[in-house]
Order: sequence, then C-alpha cells, then structure tokens
Amino acid sequence: MAEYRAIKVERGSGGFGGPLTVMPKEGKDKVVFITGGGAEPDIIEKIVELTGCTAVNGFKTSVPDEEIFLVVIDCGGTLRCGIYPQKRIPTINIMPVGKSGPLAKFITEDIYVSAVGPDQISLADAKDAAKMAVKEPEKTQEKSEEPKTEPERKYKYSKDKKVSETLGETSKSSIIQKIGMGAGKVVNTLYQAARDAVQSMITTILPFMAFVAMLIGIIQGSGFGDWFAKLLVPLAGNGVGLIILGFICSIPVLSALLGPGAVIAQVVGTMIGVEIGKGNIAPSLALPALFAINTQCACDFIPVGLGLAEAEPETVEVGVPSVLYSRFLIGVPRVLVAWVASIGLY
Amino acid sequence: MNIIVNAAEGFMGLFDAGALTFVNWVSTIVPKVLLLLVFMNALIALIGQERINKFAKVCSGNVILAYGVLPFLSAFMLGNPMALSMGKFLPERMKPSYYASSTYHCHTNSGMFPHINVGEIFIYLGIADGITTLGLSTTPLALRYLLVGLLMNFMAGWVTDFTTTFVMKQQNIELKNTL
Repeated sequence: MAEYRAIKVERGSGGFGGPLTVMPKEGKDKVVFITGGGAEPDIIEKIVELTGCTAVNGFKTSVPDEEIFLVVIDCGGTLRCGIYPQKRIPTINIMPVGKSGPLAKFITEDIYVSAVGPDQISLADAKDAAKMAVKEPEKTQEKSEEPKTEPERKYKYSKDKKVSETLGETSKSSIIQKIGMGAGKVVNTLYQAARDAVQSMITTILPFMAFVAMLIGIIQGSGFGDWFAKLLVPLAGNGVGLIILGFICSIPVLSALLGPGAVIAQVVGTMIGVEIGKGNIAPSLALPALFAINTQCACDFIPVGLGLAEAEPETVEVGVPSVLYSRFLIGVPRVLVAWVASIGLY
Repeated sequence: MNIIVNAAEGFMGLFDAGALTFVNWVSTIVPKVLLLLVFMNALIALIGQERINKFAKVCSGNVILAYGVLPFLSAFMLGNPMALSMGKFLPERMKPSYYASSTYHCHTNSGMFPHINVGEIFIYLGIADGITTLGLSTTPLALRYLLVGLLMNFMAGWVTDFTTTFVMKQQNIELKNTL
C-alpha cells in the first residue's frame, strides 16, 4: 500500500475559495485533471509528488467519481468549474475564477479553490491532517478491502504503463500546448477581471447612480435645490465659508455621524456641483469644496478599517478617538491648502 | 381636473430631470469606469497580491513611505476599502495613522482614478459635474485634488501619530511601536 499524505491547497492571487485540505486513500487516490487539450498542468506533478496519488487525464480516461479525491481544471468560468463542486468533489481551478457559470451556486469555499499554482500547494500540517482523518475514517476501511477490482474497469492507461509515463509521452512535452495554456490563463484572468468589474458596477455603482440621480431630479424639479442652495451658497460660495463648512464637518462625534456611506458628502457635493454649473459658485472653488465637504471622511468606519488592518483591540480603543481628533486638527488646514492650491485653476 | 393634470405632470417632472441625469451618467461614466475597473482587476491579478504585500513590509520603516507612498499605492492597487487592510504590515502604533491617511487617499485619488472608490465617487463627481456643465475640462481639478491630497493625506497620517500618543497617555494604554 502506497504512503499517502494530505496536502493543503490555498487560493492564489485573484483566486477564490479554499484553503482545501485533501488526502488520497486506498481506492480513492486519483487526481483527475481536465485541462486545456489534455496537457498536464504543472501543479499535477507537485500534487502527485506530495500526496503519492495517481494522476489521470480526464479527457482521455473516465474515472468513476468515487475514486476521485481531487479534480484539477482550468475552466474560465463556464460549466466545468461547477460540475465537480456540485458532486462535492474537491476542485482546484488553475484559473482565477470565482463563483460563475450555470452551476455557480455549488462553488463554495469548502470545496473549491482557484488561481492555484505550485506555490499554493503544500503538505498539510498535523492539525489539518487530523481534521481530515476525523472526518472520514470509516470509509477508509471499506475501501481497503476491495482495491483489486480496479483494473477490471475500462481504463486505457493501466495495462502496462504508469499513467504518468503515458501522459509524459503524449502531452506534457508539447510546446504548443504550453503556449495555449499560458494564453488561456491570461485571457481567463482578463475575463475574470471583467466579470468582477461588471459585478461591482451592478451591485455598487449603478444603484448609487440611480439613487443620486433620483435625488438630483427631485431637488431640481421641486425647487428644494434652489432653497437649500440659498442656504449653502453663502458657505460654499467663498473660501472662508468653505473653511467653516470643513470645520463643522470635522467636529469629533459629529464627524462620525456625517460619515456613513459618504452619503451626506456626496449629496452636498452634487448640490455644489449644480451651483457651479449654474455659475453661482466660482469653478476654482471646486477644489477647496472637495476637501471641505469631506473632512469627516471615514470617521464612522474607524473600527472596521482598523479591523481590516488586523489591529489589536487596544489599538482600536486608542485609534477611534485618535483619528477623530486628527481629523479635527487636519480638516481646516486641508481646506486652506486646497484653497491656496486652487489659485489659477480655471 | 386641471389641478390633477398639473400635479401629475409636476410629479413626473421630478423624475424626468433625474432620468436625464441618470442616462447621462450611464452613457459617459459607466463605460469608462467599467473598462478601468477591468484593467485594474487584471493588473492586480497578474502582479499578484503577494508582491504587493512584500512591498508593504518595506514601507513600515519610514513615515513618508508609511503614510505617503504606501496608502497611495494601496488605494491605487486595491481600492476602497481593501486599501485599509495594508495597515496590517505596520506596527500597532502606526495603524491609526495609516488608517487616517489611506481613507483620505481613497477619496483624493478617485478623481484621477475612479476605480479606487466607485461607491463614493459622487463626492468628486458631483462637484466635477458642475465643471463639466460649464464646458471646462475636469482633469486639472482631478490632478490638483490628487496632488493636494498627496501632501495633506500624509500630513493627516503624521498628525495622527501625535493624537495617538496623546490618547495613549489619556487612556493609559501603550501600543507597540515594533512589528
């Protein structure tokens, strides 16, 4: 019986899902790769070396699902990347592809990992391996009783050569396939980038545009804009007013209330923009105005932002008042500097 | 009857103005921002997160790098709010300052590079819209926004170093200054 070891697979740059910990076992020791034209991706070699499993080219040979412990694909986000996750077989995608394709809902982080290269594959440490062992110990026993039945199935590769030898002869050496796979990777990276971009366009930008456009419509159409602008223009219409506006926005605690989603800053900005368009505010004041309406920038977000930076609880404790104070100190100087810098603009 | 007609027309009029604005934005801003987003996403994926992380570690040694260069590049490469996560390579005491600087960077650079902060782009765009209405180019505004930001965002981070020291004394908490 061959010695099998568990490996840990993490997502690569721009990837999704994982980390997966997988381990082959007797009777369930095939890593199947279904990649561009049957060429063997470079991670297969590493997987075989680390785990002691057998590699099978999925385009040439079909393997019963229950013998597969891991699937490697290079799917750009169509059907294939969802098929194996749907069957709950751990899947590695070489391409940086997230949830996509008609089976996107089956692509979850516990069964799928993408953008994987050799660097993302490592031997699992004892802790991960133990977790695996606890998960399915009983199946190992069942399977080990009937390993001899394998050759009777319709394998083309197992008669007189090792799988890796067969593959080495047929596909691995082809330069054309390598170029093809490389080009495929670039194209897929771009494709995924486009998919992410469209996604954030739909989920964040367009809704905000619709919301702000509606506000603008109502503000302009109802005459409220004129009324509010009369209130605002004395402030926004000259440098000193803008400094006062920036001062008000930066007052600690008030600044945290003005922050959420930068909605207030965006609405005020839009109104000032309308006034500039009408000629009520000099265009060069646009620059200090940009700073004045946003002195409270992200004051509501401090704990979350520090959390993103993996800050300790004490750091958050200190950081929140510290940033509120520093916003207050730097708010007015920012508007001043911007005002000076606006000389000669337009 | 006339009153109802007028009221209905007035009501619809509110949305006509909004719809015009919306169509205008969708046809001008959306395509440009979308393609820029695609380009940036692809660039980040090709460069690789790891190389960006490595660079961040180097930056922790120096205030100008930590509050000037690192937040600028993080904002450009990662956008809001992921740019804030690069603070994890700095010592605890520098994290609030990095936060203060990088959050500003997510705004001041968004005029030049709208992909940085697509969700809050209207702070810039709202004002820039007025400039466009006047028939002027918005690029000088965006550029100065970025340049003034570059200086003042660094200052914002640096000032936070002092307020952090102050708050530490006030609260009797000592934050580590080393990694």
